[in-house]
Amino acid sequence: MALAGTAAAFSIIATGCSAGDDGGTGEASASPEVATDEFDEAMSTPTKLTFWTWVPDIENQVALFEEAYPEIDVTVENVGQGLEHYQKLRSAIESGEGAPDVAQIEYQYIPSFTLTESLLDLTPYGAGELGSDYVEWVWNQVAVNDGVWAIPQDTGPMGNLYRTDILKEAGYDAPPATYDEYAEAAKQVKEKTGSYISNLAANEPTQMVALLWQAGLEPFGYDGAETVTIDVNSDGAKDVVQYWQDLAQADLVSTDAGWTDNWFQNIANGNYAGWLVPAWGPIFLQGTAEATSGKWGAAPLPQWDASTEVSGNWGGSSDAVLASTENPIAAYELARWINAEPEPTTMFAQEQFLFPAALSVLEDPEFTDAGVEFFGGQQVNKIFAEISATVNPEFQWLPFMEFAYSSYNETVGVALEKKGDAVSALDDWQQQLVDYATEQGFTVQ
Amino acid sequence: MAVTTVDAPARRAARSKPSRGKARHSAVGYLFVLPFMVLFVAMVLVPLGYSAYLSLFEEKLIGGEAFVGLKNFAEALMDEAFLGGVGRMALFLVIQVPIMLGLALFLALAIDSGRTRASRSARLLAFMPYAVPGVVATLMWGYLYGPDFGPIAQGFEALGLTPPDMLGESGILGSMMNIVTWEYVGYNMIIMYAALRSIPTELYEAAAIDGASQIRIALSIKIPAIRPAIMLTVIFSVIGTFQLFNEPALLDSIAPVVITNGFTPNFYAYNVAFVNQDVNYAAAIAFLLGLVIAVMSYVVQLSSQRAERKVRR
Amino acid sequence: MTATMNAGAASSAAGLHKPRPRRHRRGRERSTALSVIVWALALYFLLPLVWLAIASTKDTSDLFSTFGFWFGDSFALWDNIQGVFGYKDGIFGRWALNTLLYAGVSAVGASFLATLAGYGFAKYGFRGSNLMFSIVLGAIMIPLTALALPTYLLFSSAGLTNTVWAIIVPSLVSPFGVFLMRVYSADAVPDSLIEAARVDGAGEFRTFFTVAFRLLVPGFITVLLFALVATWNNYFLPLIMLNSSDLYPLTVGLAQMQSAGTSGGGGEVLFSTVITGSFISIVPLIVAFLFLQRYWQSGLSAGSVKG
Repeated sequence: MALAGTAAAFSIIATGCSAGDDGGTGEASASPEVATDEFDEAMSTPTKLTFWTWVPDIENQVALFEEAYPEIDVTVENVGQGLEHYQKLRSAIESGEGAPDVAQIEYQYIPSFTLTESLLDLTPYGAGELGSDYVEWVWNQVAVNDGVWAIPQDTGPMGNLYRTDILKEAGYDAPPATYDEYAEAAKQVKEKTGSYISNLAANEPTQMVALLWQAGLEPFGYDGAETVTIDVNSDGAKDVVQYWQDLAQADLVSTDAGWTDNWFQNIANGNYAGWLVPAWGPIFLQGTAEATSGKWGAAPLPQWDASTEVSGNWGGSSDAVLASTENPIAAYELARWINAEPEPTTMFAQEQFLFPAALSVLEDPEFTDAGVEFFGGQQVNKIFAEISATVNPEFQWLPFMEFAYSSYNETVGVALEKKGDAVSALDDWQQQLVDYATEQGFTVQ
Repeated sequence: MAVTTVDAPARRAARSKPSRGKARHSAVGYLFVLPFMVLFVAMVLVPLGYSAYLSLFEEKLIGGEAFVGLKNFAEALMDEAFLGGVGRMALFLVIQVPIMLGLALFLALAIDSGRTRASRSARLLAFMPYAVPGVVATLMWGYLYGPDFGPIAQGFEALGLTPPDMLGESGILGSMMNIVTWEYVGYNMIIMYAALRSIPTELYEAAAIDGASQIRIALSIKIPAIRPAIMLTVIFSVIGTFQLFNEPALLDSIAPVVITNGFTPNFYAYNVAFVNQDVNYAAAIAFLLGLVIAVMSYVVQLSSQRAERKVRR
Repeated sequence: MTATMNAGAASSAAGLHKPRPRRHRRGRERSTALSVIVWALALYFLLPLVWLAIASTKDTSDLFSTFGFWFGDSFALWDNIQGVFGYKDGIFGRWALNTLLYAGVSAVGASFLATLAGYGFAKYGFRGSNLMFSIVLGAIMIPLTALALPTYLLFSSAGLTNTVWAIIVPSLVSPFGVFLMRVYSADAVPDSLIEAARVDGAGEFRTFFTVAFRLLVPGFITVLLFALVATWNNYFLPLIMLNSSDLYPLTVGLAQMQSAGTSGGGGEVLFSTVITGSFISIVPLIVAFLFLQRYWQSGLSAGSVKG
């Protein structure tokens, strides 16, 4: 009892301190940038940093960083992927103890961390000048509400990966360019080969959101303070969902849950003749469906309007510096260095196969011109680099995407899975989001 | 359970005559229980108290923390997801627990009767799943249930039948019941078997000589004799059912759509706390769940005592 | 409940401690029908494990393309084992050692504390002991999540999350163990024995360690085994307490391995590795069960559940 009491007292003191630090950095953002001698001093003082990320083998990039700055010692921790990672991050922030200095954060979760003022604004450390090094829409994801909250690492512009052999069997030499053609092709593929043209996983809100993004919709919005915009059941969104619902109900597209062993096998054995998937899809397929090497092709997404090519984004990550860090300069430099310097960024693209956010790599012929055997020698990187340039630049998120996704699964996801009325499930989703936002004290527009 | 335990030792203490120096020795009793009680207070009572405290507050993303009294509890009592989970577990309790304990009792009796060949090995096999961590058991059954490639589906297809949708909405609860049954029949069997072994043989040897059948001996002598052991397994099963967590949490990755956030109350509390970021509401849910468990255990115990009284009359 | 237990217990306490010797009697012939049913049930318990054993000999493509209960075209057990132990520079071995450490220390500690407390409750009628004991018993009903979250918050304000203590300390508390040891001590250690030791001038703790504990060993081992399995199988507590994969036990490690292929972006598909890892992780426990089985039974029959 006594022990617990003392511990609680300590934690109050500790919280008090960190609140003071926050105030300090807040002022710093108004003051001029960190001076060079300050930077040099920070980088030559022995410092320990903790970095939470689930990118495999990122130790290699970190090792390069430690070579460049021998005094900085970085510990890389993989605390889980996706949701688990964020749960632990939030718990650590909440308890004021054990949070890392730098953390991987996917773009859609950045607002939820700026809301709680858990991220450090990187502008005073020089991040404001980095904008031109990255693709515009990517930079828009990290530079929101008068601050730069993270350094982009990789992205997921959406394309269409498809089995050339199955489409050929159905009578197609080229992938469908528009959604109308795609629906027709779905019918042909099913009739002539028995396969589904693709699978729209019922439990994958991120895929659906990317498709809404492509359609030019803005289902979410957040002003950085107390106002959110929620518009997931707009007419545009209903059109998109209606399209997929029709295909699913006609049994031309499957809605199996993604990432299960069953789903992996359906990809491997051609039961799904394609996948609308981001730029990280190609390498994922190569690991999953080795036996089908050479039978795949890559193309842009089908289009709603044949005259303009647009795409959306699904996935990708950034590295953010936590506001609670005691070594903001070194932490910022870690986040910047591995995502901006040529050596580590090229390595991400070539060895971990992360699709780059940095223009220097995206425009590097060594990256774009490489032919990929799995895709019959196609220059897959070039295709996705071109797609990346067509992603709608404006897209925002709610500061509570975990709830938004889980609520999607309980409404639209269930309807898709049952091949039921997913369109009216959009209204339920909207309602749940509005209720939650109101309950949490937001003003909903 | 706790209620009747209180008076049992008390009565016994009253019966035994006070020994000399009891007071002196009794102080030593504190020293014996002290190490455990210190940890018990620190690891159970303090967190529980903290949790109770948390349940009285509400923290909004905008506007911060505020005292709201019992509002969280009132909300939980109207919360479809929570009530749905409790209802689902009640169904689980009514179907799965009798099957599991029935199998356990049958096995225990069959093995105890000595009429089964190689009963020792059978007993070991039945007990083995208890050694398998819930995580591994669920992973494993998840593969076995696979709709296209799992061996169960393969078996059905080989017979020209349509395999049941074991991971679909209609089948998932049954599939979960099967996993839990598989894991815990052996555990319950061992408890019952141990109790059977401690019945004095004289009790039923006479009946056997009188020509009573084994089934009759089992029903009228053995089962009544191990009633307390059976009650123990019932109560543990009630508690275990309402606290189901590992199975939904791990099946969630292979049947994500049908395993809703509120599939079981415990899983719901976890999701509310970690996904919805609402620690306060989660604490209220966990408290209500504890209450449901206490009431259910009490009801089970009460009805068993009533039944026993009836038998004695 | 214990009230009804004790009533019956009192009448036949002495005879109950040891399982009675099984005599083979005349006129007790084996029943084929019963054997068939029992063995059909035994198969139900065995088959999934057989599947797991066979599946761990297959590579990923055979896993899904060949019949589950027979070997595939490849025999990849060795490759799979290498895959398991080679995963992230051999972290699997580390998880196994962690599990051993957590389960071993927690189980020994928990059963020792439970034995002390159970003996104290059974043999010393001190003021408030009934109340304390009821509270301890009531704790069995508390849902995991009601404790896990506040425990996490308290541990982290003490800076103890992501340490071995965060797993071991909460696992030292076993209310069921105290319950078991209280009932067991009441019968296994005769009051007269304690009286005699007192007359000889032995202190209470000396009596406990030199005289009583030996009589309590079967119960102690039963509690030890329960605690061992409970900690070995624990998933929830380490899941929320630990951040460093170096500290994970097997359960959390395997679950993370399973999810490594999902959620995209550089993931790898590890099905056969996860299956083989699962298989390897349960082998020691099953072997231990086979050897220790009689202890479960003797402790239980003597202590917790008799009439």
